[in-house]
Amino acid sequence: MNKNTKEVVEKTIIVEHLTKNFEITEKKAGLLGSLQSLFTPSKKTVRALKSITFSIAQGELVGFIGPNGAGKTTTLKILSGLLYPTAGFTQVLGYDPWVRHPEFLKQIALVMGQKNQLWWDLPAIDTFELNSAIYEIPSKKYKETLDELTTILEVKKILNTQVRRLSLGQRMRLELVAALLHQPKVLFLDEPTIGLDVVGQQKVRDFIFEYNKKYSATIMLTSHNMDDLIDLAKRVIVIDKGQILFDGYLKELVAQFAKEKIIKVYLSKEADVKRFDDIGRVKRFSYPQAIIAVPREASAVAAAELLQNFPVADLTIEEEPVEDIIRRVFKGEVVKKNK
Amino acid sequence: MNKYLQVFKISFQQEFAYRLNFIMWRVRNVLQIFVVFFLWDTVFSFREGELFGYDRDRILTYVFGLIFIKAFVLSARAQDVAGEIARGDIINYLLKPVSYFKYWLTRDISSKALNLIFAVFEFGILYLILKPPFYFQTNPFQILLSVVAICIAIYTFYLILFIVNVIPFWAPEMGWGGHFLVTVILVEFLSGSLFPLDILPANLQNILSFTPFPYLIFFPLQVYLGKITGLLLLKGIVVSLVWIVILWFFMKWVWNKGFKAYQAYGR
Repeated sequence: MNKNTKEVVEKTIIVEHLTKNFEITEKKAGLLGSLQSLFTPSKKTVRALKSITFSIAQGELVGFIGPNGAGKTTTLKILSGLLYPTAGFTQVLGYDPWVRHPEFLKQIALVMGQKNQLWWDLPAIDTFELNSAIYEIPSKKYKETLDELTTILEVKKILNTQVRRLSLGQRMRLELVAALLHQPKVLFLDEPTIGLDVVGQQKVRDFIFEYNKKYSATIMLTSHNMDDLIDLAKRVIVIDKGQILFDGYLKELVAQFAKEKIIKVYLSKEADVKRFDDIGRVKRFSYPQAIIAVPREASAVAAAELLQNFPVADLTIEEEPVEDIIRRVFKGEVVKKNK
Repeated sequence: MNKYLQVFKISFQQEFAYRLNFIMWRVRNVLQIFVVFFLWDTVFSFREGELFGYDRDRILTYVFGLIFIKAFVLSARAQDVAGEIARGDIINYLLKPVSYFKYWLTRDISSKALNLIFAVFEFGILYLILKPPFYFQTNPFQILLSVVAICIAIYTFYLILFIVNVIPFWAPEMGWGGHFLVTVILVEFLSGSLFPLDILPANLQNILSFTPFPYLIFFPLQVYLGKITGLLLLKGIVVSLVWIVILWFFMKWVWNKGFKAYQAYGR
C-alpha cells in the first residue's frame, strides 16, 4: 500500500495520468494475408488511454460515457485489476488494483453486460454458493444478502432452474445477484442493461439506485442507454479516443454542450412550411405543431420572426433534450466543439 | 480450504450436466478395454514365452494398467484454460479472491475422482467377465511407491498442461496448436502410452529418463509391475520431483509474464 494512503483514502478511486497502450498484430484479409502475417507480423500500438486523471469519492455514482472504443471498458478493467497499466497511478480503496490483493478483490465487483459468470449448465444457486465460499462470506450473512437481493430483483422463483433455460433478462438479474453477494463497496458496471427489454432495464436501474443509496457504494457505470445515465448519474465523465473531455455534473454537460434551443410552434391555420427552413432546422412538422431547432444565441430573434411571419397560436422555447446531447457525445461530436 | 471444496463440488455436478455424453464416454472406455484385451490375448495365444521382455500376464497387466493410468493422469479439465483465456471468461476468476492455478487443479482432481469411481466399478465387472491372468503386485512398498508416482504424474501433467494453456495470453488463436503439440506428440509418444519405453535403445531410454515425460505413464506402471526397483526407483522419484519444482517455477514465471501481456479480450 501507499505511504500517503491516509490522505488519499477519502477518495475511493484515484486515477492520475493513466496511460494504456495495446500492441496489436494486424492481419491482412484472406488466406495469403494470414500466411503473410504469420511470418512477418505487422505490429501496431494502439493508445487506448492517454494520460487520464480523475477521482471519485465514496458513495458517488458516476456515469462514464463516450463512443465505442473510447477507452471506457479499458479503464474499468484497469481499475478492477485485470489489465496492467502502461503508465500512471491508480488507487482503489487504498489498494493498487494490479496487485489483486484478496482484501481488495473482496470489496469490488465488475459486472459486464456481455460477460457471464453463472455456470451455464447448473442452476444459479450453485454459482451463488460457490461465490459465497470464494468470498468467504459467513453463512448467516450469505443467507440474508441472498434473500434480500433475490427479493428486490424478483428472481426467487428461478434460483433452481438451469441457467441455460432462462431468458436474457432473468439471467442478467441473476448475474447481478452473483456479483453483489459479497456486498462490494466499489461497483464497476459495464453496460448493465444491454439487451434487456424496457421493464427489465427499469428493474435493474431501480436496483442500482437502491444499492448505491443503501450501502453508499461507489459506482462507476458505462452505458449507451441514455435513460440509465439520466436516471442514475449526477456526475458524468465523458471520454473519447482515450482522453477525458468533460468531468462534471450532467446538468453542466447539458449547459455546456447544448448549442441549440428548441422552439415549439402551434399554428392557428395552414402556412407555407418551407419558410420555416429560413428560421432554423425543422425537426418535425405535423400540423398544427412544428418543432424547430435554432442556434442558442439566435433563439429570441427566431421567435420574434416566427411571431411576425406566421399565424402562431402558441409558442414555447425549450432546452435541447438531454438525450440529444448525450447522443451527440456518443457520436463524438463534442470533441470538435471542445477544440 | 472451503473455497476449493466448493469448487470440487460444483465441478462434480457439472460433469453430470450432460448425462448422455457421460454414458457414451464410459461405454467407449469399456469397449476400448475389450479391444485391447482381445488383441494381446490373441497375440500370445499364437506364441509362447516373452515378447519385448514381457510375458502374457505382464503385457496384459501393462496394457490394462495403461488404460487405467492414462484415463487417470492424462484426462484433464485444465485443457479448457486456453479457451477460457481466449474467450475472456478467465476474467470471472481474476476478479475474485481465488487462485486460478488451484482452481483448475481442483477441477482436474474432481474430474479424476469421478473417473476413478467409475473406472474401479467398470474394471471390477470386466474382471469378472474376462477373468484375465493379471499380475498382482504383492510388495506393499512397491504398491505404495506406485501410488506416489501416480500422484507425481498427475501434478506434473497438470503443470505442463497449465503452462501450455497459458499461451493464449499472447496469442489467443494459438491455444489449440500448443495443446496438440504437447499432449499428442510429446506426451503420448514419450510417456510410454503407445508402447512400453523399454523396447527403445538403451541410450535413448537413458536420455528420456531425464525428461519429465516417462514419469507420466511408463514409470508408475513399471513400479507397479515391479520392473523398476531399488536405486533406479529412487532415481526416478528424485528426477520427477526435481521436474515438479522446475515446472512450478516456470509456470509461475510464464503466468506472471502472460498476465501482464494480457489484453483482456472480448470486450
